[in-house]
Amino acid sequence: MKTFEEKWTAWLDDQLSGRELSEFEGSLPEKAAAQAEKAEAKKLGELLKRELTARPLTNEEFFSHQLRERIVQKSGEQPRKRARGSSTSSWWTIPRLLWAGTASLAVFLICTILVMRQERPAEESQYLTQILNARVDPVVSPNATVSIFEVKQDRATVLWTEGLQSLPADYAAK
Amino acid sequence: MHRSLAVVISVLVLTIIAPPALQAAETVWSGLVIADNISQPQPIPSELTRIEGLLKKFFGYNQFQVIGQSQKTLKTGQEDWLATSKFFGLHVDARGEIQRGYVLNLKLYKEKELLLETEAKLSKRSPLVIKGPQVGGGQLLLVLIVQ
Repeated sequence: MKTFEEKWTAWLDDQLSGRELSEFEGSLPEKAAAQAEKAEAKKLGELLKRELTARPLTNEEFFSHQLRERIVQKSGEQPRKRARGSSTSSWWTIPRLLWAGTASLAVFLICTILVMRQERPAEESQYLTQILNARVDPVVSPNATVSIFEVKQDRATVLWTEGLQSLPADYAAK
Repeated sequence: MHRSLAVVISVLVLTIIAPPALQAAETVWSGLVIADNISQPQPIPSELTRIEGLLKKFFGYNQFQVIGQSQKTLKTGQEDWLATSKFFGLHVDARGEIQRGYVLNLKLYKEKELLLETEAKLSKRSPLVIKGPQVGGGQLLLVLIVQ
């Protein structure tokens, strides 16, 4: 058994028919006022239908909508990530990684400088000219000898020959 | 803070991987020098000022005169050249560039007679002086300097 309100709603929506309709309309105390109210309700319904239908979004609105959705998604994800990260690798934050990298490079440079300093004496002799071999013609100067001197103070190398055939002063001509 | 860290790291990395400076063509000065002791010595030739102390101290002479010289710009490190005086000739045969200099084969001739042959790694920072034969009251010296 329908209540009056149910029947009223059904009547406003034109859901009543036949005997049920005539009985309900007969039970109305002021049929003209009820008809006017029904008309108003229909108008209101049409207005609401017209105004509340989904309006297509413009490009800007679409993108800002997408953006907002992504922000909402991310802000939802971050606490979850943080919660996950804290349980596994919270120590390796980006600043700490950067500091660790810098510190490693600094240590490497210091080691390199120390190693280079230790090797400097050997390197200094490498900077000096080196005599690989020397030969005096044994026929021309049978008693000749050669010696090599590295004069580190002057950063020079001297090949010292002894016993070469002496020559007269004329040979000093230009 | 991130920016400054990035700058520090970049500088360090660049310092480490920075390529060595490009090598330019270099000139080797080779000279035949007569060293002797006289009462009023002439000033030392400009090419020898760099090793003036060494020459005076090591050989004990007060005057040094260039009797023959050659200046060769090495581009490939495979060049050869001759520094000559009236009676002497120094043939220099460059046999390649090494990290800090050149490998040179040197031959000292008295006219056509080979007196001395040597092979040396001539460093760009270190001159080579060779004591040659006695000439009159003086001494023949061979000098090679990368300028």
